[in-house]
Amino acid sequence: MRAARDERAHVRGAQRGSVSDLEALFRTHWPRAYRAAYLVTHDAGASEDIAQESFLAAMRALDTFDRRRPFGPWLHRIVVNRAIDWTRVRRLRSELELSESLPSPERNETPSGDVLAALARLPPEHRAVVVMRYLLEFTPGEIAEALDLPRGTVNSRLRRGLDTLAEEL
Amino acid sequence: MKRELERVEIPYEHGARERAWNVLQAAFADRLPVERTSRRLRPVLALAVVLAVVAAALSPPGRAVIDEIREAVGIERAQPALFSLPASGKLLVASDAGIWVVQEDGSRLLGDYREATWSPFGRFVVAARENELAALEPDGDVRWTLARRDVRSPRWAGTETDTRIAYLTTSRVHVVPGDGVGDVDAGGPAARVAAVWRPGPGFTLTYVNTGGRVSIYDVDSGIGPWTDAPGPGWSRRFRAPRKLEWSSDGKRLLLLTREALVQFGPRSSTPLSVREERLVDAAFRPRSHELAIIRTRQGVSELLVGKRVLFRGTGQFRDLAWSPDGRWLLVSWPTADQWVFVRATGGRRIRGVANVSEQFRSRSFPRVEGWCCAP
Repeated sequence: MRAARDERAHVRGAQRGSVSDLEALFRTHWPRAYRAAYLVTHDAGASEDIAQESFLAAMRALDTFDRRRPFGPWLHRIVVNRAIDWTRVRRLRSELELSESLPSPERNETPSGDVLAALARLPPEHRAVVVMRYLLEFTPGEIAEALDLPRGTVNSRLRRGLDTLAEEL
Repeated sequence: MKRELERVEIPYEHGARERAWNVLQAAFADRLPVERTSRRLRPVLALAVVLAVVAAALSPPGRAVIDEIREAVGIERAQPALFSLPASGKLLVASDAGIWVVQEDGSRLLGDYREATWSPFGRFVVAARENELAALEPDGDVRWTLARRDVRSPRWAGTETDTRIAYLTTSRVHVVPGDGVGDVDAGGPAARVAAVWRPGPGFTLTYVNTGGRVSIYDVDSGIGPWTDAPGPGWSRRFRAPRKLEWSSDGKRLLLLTREALVQFGPRSSTPLSVREERLVDAAFRPRSHELAIIRTRQGVSELLVGKRVLFRGTGQFRDLAWSPDGRWLLVSWPTADQWVFVRATGGRRIRGVANVSEQFRSRSFPRVEGWCCAP
């Protein structure tokens, strides 16, 4: 309850131009935003871009943000949608065989660990649903709305995702 | 499941967080917060402002102030519109309506883009809108497009047969060949400052990262000429970078920051000079290391070449552009809604152009994107 009150106060402060309030919002929500992006994309460089761009988009829309709504789910919805977009573009690019000749030293392309390896076996859209449900704690109804999917599709993706992860783990 | 997802080790988390915070903080500093006033108070406030302005204008001191402003700002005998350029070449202009080409046969709106730059020989234009990079012919025909998020600051370089375009996304530098095929992520995280190509053979790119360090490297090999640091070679940090530019012989690199003008040579990240002064803009004269600069002091702006003041006016000057032959300078003067062409060699000559915003159908003052190309 208090956290929600604090968050509203930070949003109000940031809308008025307070850097410290913006920083409070950033420090609170960055870890989950970056983690969510990474769990969907499995690419550290892309996750940094996605989380950063999502914060920038949120900041640009701050003036019109309804303070009665929680900030976190609003931001995380942007993050997950961008992460899904990124995986689609990447899939398309690999189909077109556009090779990237300049590997960035900051990127880690190979996910490690059981959970990551198991997640990697899921299609990105399914990963996104699992991450939204279990990391970001969206309800299936909220996921359906955020990703513009039928509720039944969300439930089936969650079921399939959990089954695959259970097998792998 | 939640615990499992939270236990996954995420690489580079700390560095990514601090870089993102730097970018966000800089973007936040550029943003003007919207004052939220009560709906009931808005009409009252608006009426109060109107009454105050009318009262001030009608009072004798008020009339005097308004007359003084009219006289002090702008060139009196400015042309009502831009009919021709004083030197050869053509201009690219960015306004609220989009990107314009200004040449001898008039002005042409290329399309709804927010930034643009010329190809190396001025035969094409590369333009950016929010989520698209596009190569265009000067008559507006689109050659190709590339969908990317938050595309900014394209720069095109190369020879008759091989060219590359560098551009920024939110935090990365991308490079794409001139035919639009084979786009690669070429570095980052990059500050919101256009990455620039070093004139000369090969494709040597220069950009400044979110920490304020300048990097120079060859995009094909990934190797940098600044070798006093590991990898591509970084300069020391410079806070609030705003512009990078190479001299046309590729021997001087200019970095303009909020507080200083720094010059580097091509082989060392140790600056050749650091001028600690707040400057509005700076640019090398073509085929020379001479610099034109704009500075503003106590409400008066000045255009200088070297130590010589070429032109001075009340209010703010903003951009400057050299003519391709290095004889004229174009200075934009938003306070007066004018462009001023100033001759930088020989006798002093000045040509003003008024009503610039109206001519380019813009509420904000149009920006000069480039003056191309040497015959």
